[in-house]
Amino acid sequence: MSKKKTARKQTRSIIKPMRLYERFHWSQRISHALLLTSFSMLGITGLPQKFSTTGWAQAMIQFFGGIETTRLIHHISAIVLMLLAIYHILDVGYKIFVRRTRLSMLPGLQDVKDAFQVFVYNLGFSKKRPQMGRYTFEEKAEYWALIWGTAIMAITGFMMWNPISTARILPGEIIPAAKAAHGGEALLAVMAIIVWHMYGVHLKRFNKAMFTGKQTEAEMLHEHPLELADLKAGIAQRLAPPKTLRKRQTIYYPVASVLSIAMLIGIYGFFGREKTAITTVLPISNPVPIYVPQTPTPIPTTITTPVPPGMLTWDASIGAIFQSKCSLCHNSSLATNGLSFASYADALRGASDGPVIVPGDAANSKLVVIQSASGHPGQLSPEELATIKNWIISGALEK
Amino acid sequence: MPKSKNYRRLMVIILVFGIGLVVVSLVGLVRPVAASPISAQVPRPVTASNSSPDNATCLACHGKPGLTRILPSGETLSLTIDSSHFAGSAHKDIACSECHTNIVSYPHPALQVQTIREFSLQMYTICQKCHQEQYNKTLDSVHMRAVAAGNTNAAICTDCHNPHTQLVITDQNDVLLPEARLSIPEICARCHSAIYNAYKQSVHGAALTQEGNTDVPTCIDCHGVHNIADPTTNTFRLQSPQICAKCHTDPAIMDKYGISTQVLNTYVADFHGTTVTLFEKTTPDQATNKPVCFDCHGVHDIKRVDDPVYGLQMKQNLLLACQRCHPDATTNFPDAWMSHYIPSPTHYQIVYYVNLFYKFFIPGVIGSMGIFVVSDIVRRLIERRKGARHS
Repeated sequence: MSKKKTARKQTRSIIKPMRLYERFHWSQRISHALLLTSFSMLGITGLPQKFSTTGWAQAMIQFFGGIETTRLIHHISAIVLMLLAIYHILDVGYKIFVRRTRLSMLPGLQDVKDAFQVFVYNLGFSKKRPQMGRYTFEEKAEYWALIWGTAIMAITGFMMWNPISTARILPGEIIPAAKAAHGGEALLAVMAIIVWHMYGVHLKRFNKAMFTGKQTEAEMLHEHPLELADLKAGIAQRLAPPKTLRKRQTIYYPVASVLSIAMLIGIYGFFGREKTAITTVLPISNPVPIYVPQTPTPIPTTITTPVPPGMLTWDASIGAIFQSKCSLCHNSSLATNGLSFASYADALRGASDGPVIVPGDAANSKLVVIQSASGHPGQLSPEELATIKNWIISGALEK
Repeated sequence: MPKSKNYRRLMVIILVFGIGLVVVSLVGLVRPVAASPISAQVPRPVTASNSSPDNATCLACHGKPGLTRILPSGETLSLTIDSSHFAGSAHKDIACSECHTNIVSYPHPALQVQTIREFSLQMYTICQKCHQEQYNKTLDSVHMRAVAAGNTNAAICTDCHNPHTQLVITDQNDVLLPEARLSIPEICARCHSAIYNAYKQSVHGAALTQEGNTDVPTCIDCHGVHNIADPTTNTFRLQSPQICAKCHTDPAIMDKYGISTQVLNTYVADFHGTTVTLFEKTTPDQATNKPVCFDCHGVHDIKRVDDPVYGLQMKQNLLLACQRCHPDATTNFPDAWMSHYIPSPTHYQIVYYVNLFYKFFIPGVIGSMGIFVVSDIVRRLIERRKGARHS
C-alpha cells in the first residue's frame, strides 16, 4: 500500500466512523475454507474408524459406503490438507522473507499474561480486560494447536499408510503407536474445535471476519485494540521499497520452487509409495483335497473257506452252506415253495414244481439258474455258488 | 437481532451434541460377543403300526450274517442287520417298517436300484419323518446342495448316522454327550480323510484324538452340524473370527489352559480385524484378503503359538505369515501387529505410553479450555444482567 492510499484511507476513517478493516486476505479465507472442509471430512471419516465397534460408527461407515470408501475419503482429505500445509509453509515463508511482515502469530510471554488476566477478569478479581493485538492468545493457541496437530497427524498418518517402509527403519511397534497417537490427537483436535473454536468465534459472538474478510472499527476496538492503534499510527505494515522486494523475490521464488517440488514428492510418497499393503492380493490358501473317502469297511459276511476237492459232499461242506444261507426260508417247518434244505434227501427231492438239483448237470439245475440270475431273497456269494456248482457237477454226493 | 439469536441457539445445540458424541463414543468402546450353543432335538417317539411285522420277524432273516444281494452294478448289498448293535441303537424301539415302508410281507417287492448308493439316496428322505428339524437344516447345507447338483458322493443323513447302529448321542437336555464328541471327526473322516489327517496333527485334533479332551473343537463346532455351510464363501470367511471367539473368549474353557480371552478384542482393534468386522456388519458377502484367524493360525492344522517348529511366537514364522500378503515386509514388520497383546509397560510399551499420554493430555487440554470457556460464559451472563455491554 502506498503512502498516498494509506493517507486517503485514514482521512476516510475520520469521516466515516464505521470503517471496515481488512482482517483476512482472500487467499487466507480460501485456505480456511479448504482447511475447514478437509478437517471436517477427516474428522467425520476418522472418528468412526477409531470407534468402529460402536453402532453409531458403523452407521456412519455404512453411510459413507463401507469402510473402504470411508478410508478413501479420509485419504483424499488428508492429501488436500497436506497440499494446504505446503501452501501455508510457502506463504509464511514469503511473508517472513520477502515482505518481512510482523510475526504477529508468534506466541510470547505476553500471551500467557493475557490469558491469565482474562481468566482473572472472568472470575471477577479484576475490573479490566487486557488489550490485545492482531492475534489474541486464544487465536494463537488455536493456530499453534493446529500446527502441532497437523504435524502429528501427518507423521503418524504416513506411518499407518506406509507400514512396510516405516518398519524398514523403525521398530514395528511404532506403527500401532502411531495409530494410538493418531486417534488420540484426532479426538483432541475435534474436541478442541468444538469447545474452543466453536465457542470463541461462533457462540461467543459470530465472528464473520473469516468469511467477509473484514472487521468494523468497533469490532477491532473490542478485540484487537493494539492492532487498531498500530494501524491508525501507520506502523502496522511497513513495506520495503519495490526494488528491495523484487530482489528478495528473485531469491525466494527459486528456493520456494525447489522446496515445493520436494514437498510434493513427499506427498506423492504418502499415497504412491507402498502398494502391497493396500492392493488386493488374493488370499493365498493351500487347497485341501475335500473329498478323500476312506476305504469302506467291508460288509460283514460269513467267511467262506475254499473247500478242498475231497470234501465236496453234503455232509462235509455243502450241507452247511445250505444250512446257513437257505434254511431260513427253506427248512423242514417252513418249506417255502415246498423246498427244504433240512436234509440231503429233502434237497434232492426239490420243490413242489420239481427238483432243483440235477446231479452232474449244474447248468440245468434250477438252483444254479435262480442263483446265477440273482434277485433271489437269499443270495449265495459267488464263491459259494461256484462250490455248489462243482458239487453238482461231481454228482451231488451225500458222503 | 433474532437472526443471530437463532444462530447462537444452533451453535449451542452443535456444542452440546458434539460433546455428547465424544462422551458416548468413549463409553461404548467394546462390546462382548455372544456365543450360541449347538442344539439338538429329540425326535418324536414312533410306534409300529399294528399291521406291520414286528422287528423279530424281520430279524429272523435279516439278523443272519451273509444275507446279501448282488446289485446290477456288481456291488454286493448286505441285507444283514447286526442284532446286537441294533439292540443298542437309538432306533431299537422303532419298527423296521417305519422306515422300510414298502416292505410289509414276504416275498418283498423287488429292489429297483442299480447301486448301493442309489438305495441310500432313495431311503434317506425317510429320516425327516421323525427328524424334521435336522432334516430341514440339511436342506441348506453344502452337502445337500452338492446332492442337488448331482454329486451323489455328498453326505446324506445315513452316511453320518447309520440308522441301524446309531447310538443315542445327546443327554436328557439335548446336549451332545462328551463321548459322542470324540467320534465326530472320525465320521467326517469317512469322506474328508485328508482334512482329518491334518486335524489330527493340530493342537485341537491331537488333544481330542490322543488325550480324549472334549474341550477342543471337533468338526461340527466350526462347521456346524446338519446345516453345514460352504466354508469357501466370503460370508464364511468374514464370520469365521466369531467361530473361534465362541471358545476363545470364554474364560470357562480358556482359563484351564492359560490362554488369553482377549484375542478377539485385540484382533478387532487392529486394522485387519476392524476391516473384517466392518465388512461382516455392512457387506457380509464382501470378498477380502484381510486376514482372519485361520490365515495366520492355520485352518485344520492349527498349531500352538509356542510350537517349536510352526509356532507364531517365533518372529520368523510370523514374518512368513505377514509376507504371504505383504511380500515386501522385513524383519521389523511383524511387530506392527501386537500379537494379541494389550499394550502394557511390559508389552508394546511405546503404544502403552502413547495411550497413557493422551489419557491425561486430552482431558488436561480440553478441561482447561472448558474451564476457561465456562468462566467466560459466566462473566458474560453477569455482565449482561448488569446491563453492561460487552463484546
